[in-house]
Amino acid sequence: MASERVEVRGHIIDSLILAKVLDVILDAGADYRMVDVEIGRTSADPSRAVIEVQAPDEELLDRLLTELLVHGANRVAQADAATVATDRDGVLPEGFYSTTNLPTQVRIHGRWVDVENPEMDCAVVVRPDGRVRTEPMHRVRAGDPVVVGRDGVRVQALERPRGANPFEFMTSEVSSEKPKDLLVAEVADRIRRAKSMGAKVLVVPGPAVVHTGASPHLARLVRAGWVDVLFAGNGFATHDIESNVVGTSLGVPLTGETPPEGGHANHLRVINEVRRRGSIAAAVSEGWLTGGTMFECVQRAVPFVLGGSVRDDGPLPDVLPNVVEAADAMRAQLPGVGVALMLASTLHAIATGNLLPAGVETFCVDINQAVVTKLADRGSHQALGIVTDVGLFLRTLADHLAP
Amino acid sequence: MCPPEHFGVLYEINPWMHQEVAVDVDRARDQWETLASTLGDAGAEVETMAPQPGLPDIVFTANAGIVNRDCFVPSRFRHPQRQGESPHYTAWFAEHGFRIAELPGSVSHEGAGDALPFRSVLLSGYRFRSDAAAHVALSELAGVPVRPVELADDRFYHLDLTFCPLDERRALVAPAAWDSYGRKVVEALVPEPLPLDADETAAFVANSVVVGTNIVMPACPARIGRQLEAWGFDVVVVDVSEFQKAGGACRCLTLALDVALP
Repeated sequence: MASERVEVRGHIIDSLILAKVLDVILDAGADYRMVDVEIGRTSADPSRAVIEVQAPDEELLDRLLTELLVHGANRVAQADAATVATDRDGVLPEGFYSTTNLPTQVRIHGRWVDVENPEMDCAVVVRPDGRVRTEPMHRVRAGDPVVVGRDGVRVQALERPRGANPFEFMTSEVSSEKPKDLLVAEVADRIRRAKSMGAKVLVVPGPAVVHTGASPHLARLVRAGWVDVLFAGNGFATHDIESNVVGTSLGVPLTGETPPEGGHANHLRVINEVRRRGSIAAAVSEGWLTGGTMFECVQRAVPFVLGGSVRDDGPLPDVLPNVVEAADAMRAQLPGVGVALMLASTLHAIATGNLLPAGVETFCVDINQAVVTKLADRGSHQALGIVTDVGLFLRTLADHLAP
Repeated sequence: MCPPEHFGVLYEINPWMHQEVAVDVDRARDQWETLASTLGDAGAEVETMAPQPGLPDIVFTANAGIVNRDCFVPSRFRHPQRQGESPHYTAWFAEHGFRIAELPGSVSHEGAGDALPFRSVLLSGYRFRSDAAAHVALSELAGVPVRPVELADDRFYHLDLTFCPLDERRALVAPAAWDSYGRKVVEALVPEPLPLDADETAAFVANSVVVGTNIVMPACPARIGRQLEAWGFDVVVVDVSEFQKAGGACRCLTLALDVALP
């Protein structure tokens, strides 16, 4: 999508020029956003409106802007972005521009340049080679030119799809009262479409995926090639391995039998054995771990990042206990991700949501409405919340995609 | 006004102009002199400027610029063929004690031919010769609010071919020559419009000069005459057919100097 700001001045209300300009924009198949309107105090004072014109491509935008010029709507003069070089590693200059996760552009030498990796709550660094990237605070290096202030920076509101869609998937909505079967079928469809367009699927499972007996279904999805990246924590990986090696999750048999005595220590013994072997991959190659989601990830070389937390037992050797390092490892896996599936996870789902650019289709599944609402409201752009048992959800999804 | 010593159709910059149609210069001079004396009889004081060789359209002084009190905003012509007239207009106004206020170089505006006062606003046509982008600057320089009207028919390429203010409440209007927004703007502005049909507009009826309660017209169909007389106007028709070969009529040949807005 291409956009540019125009300004109309004068007696824009009485003269119907404002109405005409807006009609011309819509008739051309473009859209607009009113940025600012100042109405003159008396009928003798002129008024001013700033309108952001949004068109599907640059060519249509150019033609439209030329036509708008005829009606007196001029491009707004814009300044280049201001940058200040940081004087220290890991410390940003005062007044640094703080990002959102929306597609962002920075004006350099009169040209709008895309910010390569939109991420919220970061700074924008203009590299010497002209590329512009978001960087989290801890990654800036002394001398990096960091964008300060708001001049020369613009974000693009994501396109709102027009037309009726019975489930209105593109709104941030929590669905506890919608037919689940239809929702899951729609999620499956979105995943298929994303993959067919070359986008990656990211899954963020929480331990409840294993507790509800759904890990075999997730494993099925990984085996069938539907999962490209997995983010989780010590809990999910441990219980997934525990369920395959010992048949329990946190000591509770997944077959429904009575929990055996001492089962609460099963996960510790599992973690210990993986630590003995040195890594999950080693546990697989030695034949000790023979099934489950982590097993399938190793077999299919699906990259995973296990982020540590202060509660972790062990942790498993693959877990990154330095959370800043873990977040950077997650960032490294994000390019190309088009769909994110958050499954019964709060901590890692929120962490992932904070890293994702707006525009990644995000599905949040949890039995708890509050968790789903919280997650779906994060970037709020293309997130769908589904309140349901993750076990049932994953089984049905796997039946759709990997029957 | 400016005498037609060097008038002719030497180029084609509007749909009325055809170079193969010859202008009868003697007839043009007679028509011009009749117009000037008729305006004088109606109570106007006519001042003239010197014609220039190579500038046939300098007779159309309506396009010289915008006048308000002692301020003159010279036009910026769309076509190079008329751009040579500007220095002569500016010189005349400067010599006659007017303050010259220049529009920005990047916009076109063709003066009183395209912007006419009605009540306390300047109604300004745009698209063919004048730019909407000029309106804000024009408004600031002339000290008058400007309301744009988009012209929709290239035969009626200046506002003064489609609109003639008569008094505080009335005007001759040719709504078909404007776009829908322009029509609404004029409808809101003029309490008692007298609309012209297609033939009447094409006969340049809107391009008339009003001096008090006298109206000097290039043509006057019966029904228009009846209404004007009912409103208390005295109608005089002056044949300006030689000038219509260049796409202008009575009003185009004059520029009001006694404008005082608001």
